[in-house]
Amino acid sequence: MERYLSHSTQDTETIAETYAKSVKPNDVLAFFGGLGAGKTAFIRGLARGLGVKGEVLSPTFALVHEYEGTVPLYHFDMYRVTSFEDLYSTGFFDYLDTGAVIAVEWSENIVSALPKGYKKISLNRISDEEREIIIEESV
Amino acid sequence: MVLLGIDTSAKAASVAICDETQLLAEAMVNTKLTHSQTIMPMVQSMLENAHIALNQVDAFAVSAGPGSFTGLRIGIAAVKGMAMALNKPCVAVSTLEALAYNLRGFEGIICAVMDARCNQVYTASFRAHSGAVERLTEDSALPIEELIRQLTQFQEPVFFVGDGAGLCYNNKNVCLFDARLAPEHMVNQSAASVCRLALERMKAEPLAAVGAEAISPVYLRLPQAERELRQKQAAL
Repeated sequence: MERYLSHSTQDTETIAETYAKSVKPNDVLAFFGGLGAGKTAFIRGLARGLGVKGEVLSPTFALVHEYEGTVPLYHFDMYRVTSFEDLYSTGFFDYLDTGAVIAVEWSENIVSALPKGYKKISLNRISDEEREIIIEESV
Repeated sequence: MVLLGIDTSAKAASVAICDETQLLAEAMVNTKLTHSQTIMPMVQSMLENAHIALNQVDAFAVSAGPGSFTGLRIGIAAVKGMAMALNKPCVAVSTLEALAYNLRGFEGIICAVMDARCNQVYTASFRAHSGAVERLTEDSALPIEELIRQLTQFQEPVFFVGDGAGLCYNNKNVCLFDARLAPEHMVNQSAASVCRLALERMKAEPLAAVGAEAISPVYLRLPQAERELRQKQAAL
């Protein structure tokens, strides 16, 4: 388990950019933490660390954004996903094991469908600016 | 009758051309490439290599499901596009029945299985005998354990075929019946089998070939759809 303390959005992005060095193809990064926890900021830093050029925005309406970096990065937002049928029709299962890195916002909504060995990234609010970031491997 | 078949129902993608008696050309990739980028170039190069013009094709065949959500849509869209442009008929077949055709000529039970994730499979069973394939169960989505339990009723060899074959073959309860694994070169979905099944269907049912507008993907409802996907509030 790794634990970080972020003092700002900028800090979260930097932590994520460093973390990107240890990310491997086929990794599923499952984000936990409510509105404003810094999930998108983390994924913005992660994308930069994976060599993605261009803007990273939360795919709340598109459900998935695709970025081209040193490995493909698929950025999901499961906020509106409430059933297996919903999840199936996002194409989520089709992206697993394709050699890409998969980052999933609102993983709370699809916990029972996350693949074995996913990386659980929790962002906990400490104060308006500060966040505790915990990264652990699921069993 | 020249038939062009496509299968993009899972990780492997394949295209094939056959007539009533033989397979004329085929191509497949199973290297995790994106079907939307590979399928049309594969069709084009296969036709060029075989010296067959697209307008010589009399009908199109496609595996319509079950399978990967995106994959099925890509295969069906590709077939619809070509069939509409050329005003040719289409035959949509079950992915699982086409998989069983991979093992036509075997003797025994053929259990077609595709990995539906989360310990579930899309499956249907068939009996192969004297070169014919007879359907025993409807296409359905089941937990693996439930399928294995159902298969223990068979006293004959049960051959697993499909991308979920290994998953089932390695299940701990598989020792309760005579389970066999399809040979590696026959285990995956194949457009050649899709063509062969489509030809059989056209022979048996004059209405099997329909207009391109009439075909659509067949998704099966997953049993876990009923189950809680979300993390329980109490567990947070």
